Amino acid sequence: MKQRLPVIICFLAGAIMFLQYFSPHPVARSVYSAILDYWQIIFAFTLLVGVAAYVKSNLKQISRGQDIPYRLVAIAGIILMPILAIIGGIKIDSPFLWVFENVIAPMQATVFSLLAFFVASASFRGFRARNLQASILLGTALIVLVGRVPIADMISEYFPKLTFWIQNYPSMSARRAILIGIGLGSMTTAFRVILGIERTYLKGE
Amino acid sequence: MTPAGIRWIIFAGLFAVVTLSYLVVVDFGSLSSPEVQKSYDYLENLPEGAVVMVSFDHEASSLPEIQPIALAILRHIFRSNLKPVGVSLFAEGTAIGYRLMNKTAGEFGKKYGTDYVFMGFKPQQIAAILGMGESIKNIFPEDYLGTPVEKLPLMADIENYDDIEMVISIADGSLTVHWIEYAGAKYGQPVMAGLTAAMITSYDPYLSSGQLFSVVGGLKGAAEYESLIGRKGGGTRGMMAQTTTHLYVIVLIIIGNIFYFRSKTKSGAKQ
Repeated sequence: MKQRLPVIICFLAGAIMFLQYFSPHPVARSVYSAILDYWQIIFAFTLLVGVAAYVKSNLKQISRGQDIPYRLVAIAGIILMPILAIIGGIKIDSPFLWVFENVIAPMQATVFSLLAFFVASASFRGFRARNLQASILLGTALIVLVGRVPIADMISEYFPKLTFWIQNYPSMSARRAILIGIGLGSMTTAFRVILGIERTYLKGE
Repeated sequence: MTPAGIRWIIFAGLFAVVTLSYLVVVDFGSLSSPEVQKSYDYLENLPEGAVVMVSFDHEASSLPEIQPIALAILRHIFRSNLKPVGVSLFAEGTAIGYRLMNKTAGEFGKKYGTDYVFMGFKPQQIAAILGMGESIKNIFPEDYLGTPVEKLPLMADIENYDDIEMVISIADGSLTVHWIEYAGAKYGQPVMAGLTAAMITSYDPYLSSGQLFSVVGGLKGAAEYESLIGRKGGGTRGMMAQTTTHLYVIVLIIIGNIFYFRSKTKSGAKQ
């Protein structure tokens, strides 16, 4: 029963969600609306679980003496932000938003900007014409690099067209294949879970 | 020279290239890609008073690239007397979106509540997108400032996606996919995107299939849009930096390959 009951609940939930998609009936619509509301509520609780796990993991690392300053900053951040939000709210001109705009946003932009430096360094060290495949990749990358900036039009009107061709045919074919694969995989997994074939979610940790 | 020394030279070179590029203003002319032109034409041809939803689905990290796109599109929306409903499905986009909408609305003398509203953030993107297909008021019972939705004149006639002409997702990740797959596929809501350049190719299949109406992509897309609305901004200013950075990377690739082939020739000669 410990195994069977969750599988039955999972099957019913999956089947209801599957069937309601095709039904415009008011009952189906109201069931769907209620499920969406519950979804939001469950999500709020999963956030709590996430925060608890994050704090627990950091405290564990501190007790082991690993990266103590960084872990303390992480814990201070996760405690400070809710306190600021509770005291002053999260709207415009609140302390919470001040910290977001003047600390978090610049820090994130800084870290993201570092990517340019790593790309430059990696392009020097890693982008080598070692064999035919690598040479084709290299040539394509160079064309797209030039084609995505305005000087491409100045060099030749065919340059942007060539870039679009690369994006629209070879690149997109590969993307489509991946997307179709993901779609079929998701569908198969969903059916396996709904029909109770896939039960790994029952095993816990 | 040690690998660390070479890395420092590359980093210093990039820093110099980007910094100097911002000191030089070069007009690259008024070029526009078909996608940007399509986005512009669509908004341009909407009747005055039409409602569009602008969703700020991005993090603060991508602001330098995303903001010029959002700003150009918002300026076009307000200039065309369209009525934007701002939302954010990414917590970090909330304050950014609100400030941006307020600032742009101020340029055109638009009034909050009547000409535009900002509903704020809603967690769990998929549930929020699906929920808005049933009732936007249910998902956002009050706006970002805490005003009940009943007190916002603009929201009086807006029930769900049927009353929204276009959803414009300003994103730096895969969140626009949720708009396409849930608002688009389930409710037939047209979706347009403002994306970082790195994300454009991910959306090409959706664009080609028509599931995504159009894309304004990267700093170049922003520059093109600015050119179309006749108002230069961050996109145009950043074009020189982006161009020189791309050229710098190309030069690095070429130098890297020269070193590679030289070392290969030398090792071949020794053997």
